Formats: sequence, C-alpha cells, structure tokens
Amino acid sequence: MIYLDNAATVKPSKNTVALAERILTEDFFNPSALYYPAIELKGEIENTRRDIADILKCKASEIYFTSCATESNNWVFSCGIKNKRGNVVISEGEHPSVYEAALNLKSKGVDVRVIPLTVNGTIDETKLCEAVDDNTALVSVIHVSNETGIVNQIEKLAAKVKNKNKNTFFHSDGVQAFCKVPLNLSGGNIDFYSISAHKIGGIKGAGALYLKSGVNISPLLYGGGQENRMRSGTENVLSVLSFATAIKDFRKPQDFKKVFDYAFDVLSMIPDSQINGLRTANSGYIISLGLKGIKAEVLQHLLCDKGIMIGLGSACSSKNNRNRTLESMRVNREFVEGNVRLSFSYENTFEEVKNAIGTISDTVGYLRSKIHG
Amino acid sequence: MDNVIILRYGELFLKGKNRGFFERTLIKNIKEKLGKFRCNFSAQRGRYEISEYADEDEQAIVAAMKTVFGLQSLSIAKKCDSDLHAISDIILKNIPENATFKVKTHRADKTFSLTSPQVSCSIGEIILDKLPNSRVDLHNPEYEINVDIRETGKTYVYTDKIQCAGGMPVGTAGKGLLLLSGGIDSPVSAYMMSKRGLTLDAIHFYSYPYTSMQAKDKVKELACILSDYCGSMNLITIPFTQIQETIHKYCSADYMITIVRRFMMRVAEKVARMRDCGCLINGESLGQVASQTMQSITVTNDVVKTMPIFRPLIGMDKQEIVNISTAIGTYETSVLPFEDCCTVFMPDNPVTKPTIARAEAEEQKIVNIAELIEQAIDNLEIIEIKIQ
Repeated sequence: MIYLDNAATVKPSKNTVALAERILTEDFFNPSALYYPAIELKGEIENTRRDIADILKCKASEIYFTSCATESNNWVFSCGIKNKRGNVVISEGEHPSVYEAALNLKSKGVDVRVIPLTVNGTIDETKLCEAVDDNTALVSVIHVSNETGIVNQIEKLAAKVKNKNKNTFFHSDGVQAFCKVPLNLSGGNIDFYSISAHKIGGIKGAGALYLKSGVNISPLLYGGGQENRMRSGTENVLSVLSFATAIKDFRKPQDFKKVFDYAFDVLSMIPDSQINGLRTANSGYIISLGLKGIKAEVLQHLLCDKGIMIGLGSACSSKNNRNRTLESMRVNREFVEGNVRLSFSYENTFEEVKNAIGTISDTVGYLRSKIHG
Repeated sequence: MDNVIILRYGELFLKGKNRGFFERTLIKNIKEKLGKFRCNFSAQRGRYEISEYADEDEQAIVAAMKTVFGLQSLSIAKKCDSDLHAISDIILKNIPENATFKVKTHRADKTFSLTSPQVSCSIGEIILDKLPNSRVDLHNPEYEINVDIRETGKTYVYTDKIQCAGGMPVGTAGKGLLLLSGGIDSPVSAYMMSKRGLTLDAIHFYSYPYTSMQAKDKVKELACILSDYCGSMNLITIPFTQIQETIHKYCSADYMITIVRRFMMRVAEKVARMRDCGCLINGESLGQVASQTMQSITVTNDVVKTMPIFRPLIGMDKQEIVNISTAIGTYETSVLPFEDCCTVFMPDNPVTKPTIARAEAEEQKIVNIAELIEQAIDNLEIIEIKIQ
C-alpha cells in the first residue's frame, strides 16, 4: 500500500506504537493520582508540553491539551468573544471546525465577515485588513490550508491586524503546519493556535491550544480542574504523550523536497490538469490536483484497488460537489469536480511516490478513455 | 386485571376457503415480530390477543404490530371478569374526575344477563355516582369507553383504536423481484407491494468504481429498514459496470438511459425466473423523469416477456411518495448523497420519447448482449437481509 492521504491522518510513528503498548499495559494510571507512578506520568505530560512549546517558540504554560483540534478551535470561538460582542473575521479557506463555529456565532447574531482567497490560495490580505475595524473581536486565518497546502503568513497577518486594532484576538488553525512550517509565537501577535497529534504521527484523541499568557478566556469544559483549571477532564495520557513521540520521530529528510518537487512536476504534466495554488507558497506536503473530465471519487476507487490511497478535494455527489476553498480561489468548476488531494509524510520514499504518480497518470488516462471513448 | 393488546384483522374475512391459509400466514408474521419480546400470543375468534408482557415493552410491541400487514387496528385494553363492578373499577382508575365520556358495549357473550345498552347505562350510572363532576356526552366525548364482553367470561375495556398498516399478510400473494436503487421511490414501491401480500427479493445494480461502496451499503441499509414491513429478503447485487461501459461506447448518448434500463429489465427478468419470482416491481412514476415517460416505459417494458412489471407509484406525486418514505423510515437513508448507477454516463439530454425500433437499432451495435447479461448474472452476490 502507498499511503498519500497524510493530511487526513498520519500512520502512528514507531515510538508512538511502543508508547501505546507501555501506556495500555503498564502506565495506565490517572495522572491526577498522588502515587508515584501516576506522578511520573504527570511529569511526562509536562515534558510533552515543553516539547510542543519548543517547536512553537512559546512558554510551556501557554499550551493546553484538548481532545482534538476541533475542540481547540471551538474553544476559541465559544469563549474567545466576550458576550458575543464585536465582529469576527475569518477566511473562506478555513477548516470546517472554524468555519462552522463561525457560522454558529452568526446564527446568534454576531457579525461574521468572510474574506475570500486569492487565486494563489492565500487569504486576500487587503480585504482582511479592510474588514478589521474597532469592533473586531476575533480574526481567524488557517496557517496551512488542509485543501491546498498553501501557507498563510500568519505572523505578518497578525501584526497587521494588531496594528489596526490591538484588542483584536488573532487565532490560527495550525493543524497542517505544526512541525512542518516554522513558527515563532513569542512575537506576541498571535493569541491562539490550534494543533493536533495524529496529523504528525501521534494518536487520534489529543489536540492542543496555545493560549497566549495574559489572554483571559473562560474554559469550554468545567469539572475536575485539569490543565490549570482551563480544560477539565481526565487527560488522554496516551494521545497526549504521543505528541512527544511523534515530534521526536518527525524528521524532514534532506531529500523530501526532492520527492515533493518530483510529484509536483510530473503531476503538472498530466494533460487537462492543474495544481491549485501558488507553488512557492506550498507547505511541501499537500498537492491539490484538479483533473478535467473525471470524477475524483471514481479515480479514488480505482487507485484504492491498486493499493494507492489518496484524498478527495471535494465531497463527490451528484448534487453536492462544492469545495469552498477552491471556489474562493476561482478554480474552474470542471477542475473542482475532478479534484484530488495528495498529501505526503516523511515516511513516503521517492520510489513509492514515483510509482504512485505513474499509476495515477495511467489511471487518469484509462478513465478518460472509458468516459470519452 | 391484566393489560392486553387486542389485534384486529380486516380483509381476511373476504377470503372464503383460503381464510385458513391467510390467517396462518398472518399469525406466523406476527409471531416472528413478537419473537424478541416475552409475552403470550393467542388467537381467538376474529381477533388475536397479546398478554403477559412487561409494561415497559408495551409501546415497542404496539410499534412492531403496526408494521404487520394484514392487521387493521389494535387496542391496548384492560382485561377483567365480566362483572359490572370490576369493569367500572377499571374505568374509574383511568378517567379524570371531570371527564366527559360515553360507554359503548359489545356483547359477544349472549348469555350475559344484560343487553348491550343496559350494560352501557349501568356502567354510566356507576361512573356518574362515583365521579359526580363527570358528564355523559354521546356525540363528542373526551373518552369513548369500549366494553367488549367475550364468550370466555372475560371483558376487555379500552378507549383508543390504533390504526395498523392494513393490507394483506406478507407471503400470501407470492414472490416478486424489486428493482431497488438508492433513491426515494423504489423502497416505497416495495412497501406498497408487500402491503398486498408479496414476499420480496430485491435486485440492485452497481457500477464500481463509478459508484462507491457506500452506495451499495446504503441499499443494504434500505433493505434492512424495509424488512421491518416486508419481512426477510435476499438482496441480489449485480455488477453493472461492463454493461454500462459497453453501452456508453457503442450507443448514442441520448439513448444511454433507455438502453441501460432495457438491460436492467433483461437481467432482472432472468434473475426473477431463477429465484421463482412471479413479477418485477419498480418505483416508476409517470413523467417523473425522462426515463419514466409513457414512451420510455413502453420501450423498457418491451424486453420483459414472461411476467408483469408492477409499478405501484405510477400515479403518485413525488410529495405523496416522500410522505410514505418518511412514514416508513426510508427517506433519511434514501437522501444520503451517494450516487447510484443511474447517474453514471448520464447524457445532458436524454431522449424523452424513445421508440422500440430506434432502441433495437442502437442495441444492434452491441454484438455480445447475451454474453454481457450472462456475465453480470454469473457474478451476482446474494446478501441475506433478516428482520431486524
């Protein structure tokens, strides 16, 4: 099997698998307990917090573990706007966990402003700045698009937003960027940043929210007072600690850029195809490929039968094949319908990517011959 | 005093000498549904009785009985000795102090000392005596109290008659093969024909990789929901990709759907004969889409020579179909967004008035029709769908 759907989830890393066995068979304690092995476990959680903080260039005390990035995003949207006052600004290219959370605020009467993307796939910076005003409570811009892999320069954007209104909170969903795109949160302009363990080789069930010290928001969940009384609930020890093992195992092989560039070059040569978004703005892990005249889902089925797993760029159905991100980038409709997403991890070797891309090209040709004769 | 559920059947009375067969089938179907409950079932003259069940199962049993074709209505009743005071005690416990009421008596036990009107009057008097704020209202009472005095020395007291599904018991009209897609209509047509007593098998055409595995799972789910009403069935899935690719390759695009449907009918007829089904059933409704005009139906109907095709929805509006679909619980699944094979290679402008001559001319372009059909049938899969 060649797995090219790493933006959906990444195979748990080697040390993560070993960790799972240890936590499930030996160190299964509740980290809030006061006996020695539980206290040690608590220590490991704190070490993990430090590992994450080292990568994001922030303080460990600013990292709060949650159950997933969706929870982190919802926490910000539920509690980051006091008394539902002020307006909220997001991009058209947000992950549903941000977009739907914003729509929920809108249904409660909050003024939600949605900023379109440029054809390059980044947020339209001018329109973003225009939308922010004295009443803007929260801005949320995705760091790396889960659809296209395009990187938004969030540190720069946050600075501009703060320049316009220093009281506006700036949030970014960093799920597809964590460990892959450098970030320095110590700059202080970003107030919230969401990440997830299983997108880098950890286990599903743990996310985290960076919450800048001094920013005062209330908890989403109340209870036993875990996470410094900010996120109650018994820690999902295994998933939380898998952040650390995944970070440890995560590597950026020297030649990985070569793998990505090769994929990008060869896929670009498929007739009647286009890769969405500006190449130089890509994170180097996701390719959004539009193929004219075929349905993405059909290609996915054929490739799956050949042992190649790819993602879909749009929910494919007869009546609902919309893709908010691509439409905002003004991608032609026929490319949206035939849009697939290839996403890579450091585990993908040059050889397997080469094989997969060859098979994809052949299968696209085969499918087109069946459909168009 | 016992809680019982009284079941009544309707049209079976019409069936003369076959009545035994109809009743046996109905009882078998009822017992199948009662299998998961601890209760007692007994057949009595003109009605059935479910008793000795746990209170918490009562609503679930009622819901299950409402899915049995052949039952006309049911009532949740209290059962007591045929004694005026015992009967009145039950009523007094179950109506409020200031109720308006009417007592209606049916006296199957002709040896009972009072006539039906006398029973009604006597009970009415007792109620008025014990509940002075209550009032008799013969025209529009809040509580219509039915008192049913049986030959067994027992009496049933109940207020409501709950409508059941009606129709004929499944299994009394033979077996039909349903063409089941993932849409809204075909499950409803299954319901309609089972209501007339047909047992069903279902045939489903799928076109992987053009359609997804979820589309197939969806059809399986629909069959499971239907089995509540239609009983256990076999779902026969037919790989249809090669046939569709061949038609797409050789035939005119505007006749694509017409020819596809003629192939479906051919395969279905063969499978029906293999599985002892006496008819085909589909969800066509006149004029709903291009393939359901009178001319289209004529052309697809033309290839089936040995059995009737039942189209129970032919004269129904979409909204009427949706209403039944919602009522029987298939709608939510039907609208899940997985494409079925009808939309694969769909032309922009399908012909709405095809002719048999032109369809045959188009099919002449395919040299191996029989072989394609045989191949599809050779690769069929059978999935057993059991009553939930």
